[in-house]
Amino acid sequence: MKKILAIPAVILLFAFLAFAHGNEEHVIGTVASVSPNSITVHTLKNENKEVAITGKTTFEGQNGPAKWEDVKVGDRVVIHADKDGNKLIAHTVRFSTAQPAAAH
Amino acid sequence: MRKGKIIGILIVVVVIAVAVYSIVVVRRGFSARDNPSWLESTMAGAARSMAYPSSAKQMQSPLPATNENLMAGEAHWADHCALCHANNGSGDTVIGKNLYPKAPDMRKSGTQNMTDGELYYTIQNGVRLTGMPAWGSAGDDDEDTWKLVQFIRHLPELTAEEEKHMESLNPKTPEEIQEERQEQEFLNGQSEPLKNSQPMKH
Repeated sequence: MKKILAIPAVILLFAFLAFAHGNEEHVIGTVASVSPNSITVHTLKNENKEVAITGKTTFEGQNGPAKWEDVKVGDRVVIHADKDGNKLIAHTVRFSTAQPAAAH
Repeated sequence: MRKGKIIGILIVVVVIAVAVYSIVVVRRGFSARDNPSWLESTMAGAARSMAYPSSAKQMQSPLPATNENLMAGEAHWADHCALCHANNGSGDTVIGKNLYPKAPDMRKSGTQNMTDGELYYTIQNGVRLTGMPAWGSAGDDDEDTWKLVQFIRHLPELTAEEEKHMESLNPKTPEEIQEERQEQEFLNGQSEPLKNSQPMKH
């Protein structure tokens, strides 16, 4: 009888024991394409990086909070994204229409 | 006799079920990425409710609910709490969402339905077997903690402007400050993407 009681007790103890910066990536470049579900960023390594947009993604333009529709192809963009396997998921997207500084 | 037999059979069934579940779990391994099971959540919730002394539930803030105290709580939160709980209290941070159990969304009823005293006690004493440490000592006179309680009450109404302001109060390493400056310069058109186009990993 004691053994019978001991088995679940040990199992429950084990269950209790069980009860007992990660992976962010910054993608910087210019917007190659944009859709409700993703932004593709062209970096100057000549790479296109696709970053997924979710309902939690926040957008910020030069004048403050914005929406994905405000992002245009060619805009400068800084995306802070979380890696989920091979996928990048944006949590903040900052963008601007600023042109490159003039050469002197 | 018949009753005893039924109880015996039930015990055997429960033991077998628990054993099978344990074998499956042990073979699969454990990860903090998982969500606690219903059983764990229920048991932990019950244990947590017992953790508050009855006197703690009735505690009231000795501070007036002024805007000044709210701002102090906001700054304190941004500096000490946001790393896990996020500025908006959602818990949606690298640390918060990978803890076991995960940092709760403090804007929701699970937190907002707690009494001020329970919130104060949780901050001061932490929560066992979670990532929440004890930040204070015994007693009910820590003004900084009462200011945090006032700010926690404000979380459901936090505005985007307040959240943005809090970002400037979050602790940063020298590298993060430099990185932030470079990103802003890039957005302002003051630097070419070439210098900053590499993905930066944290």
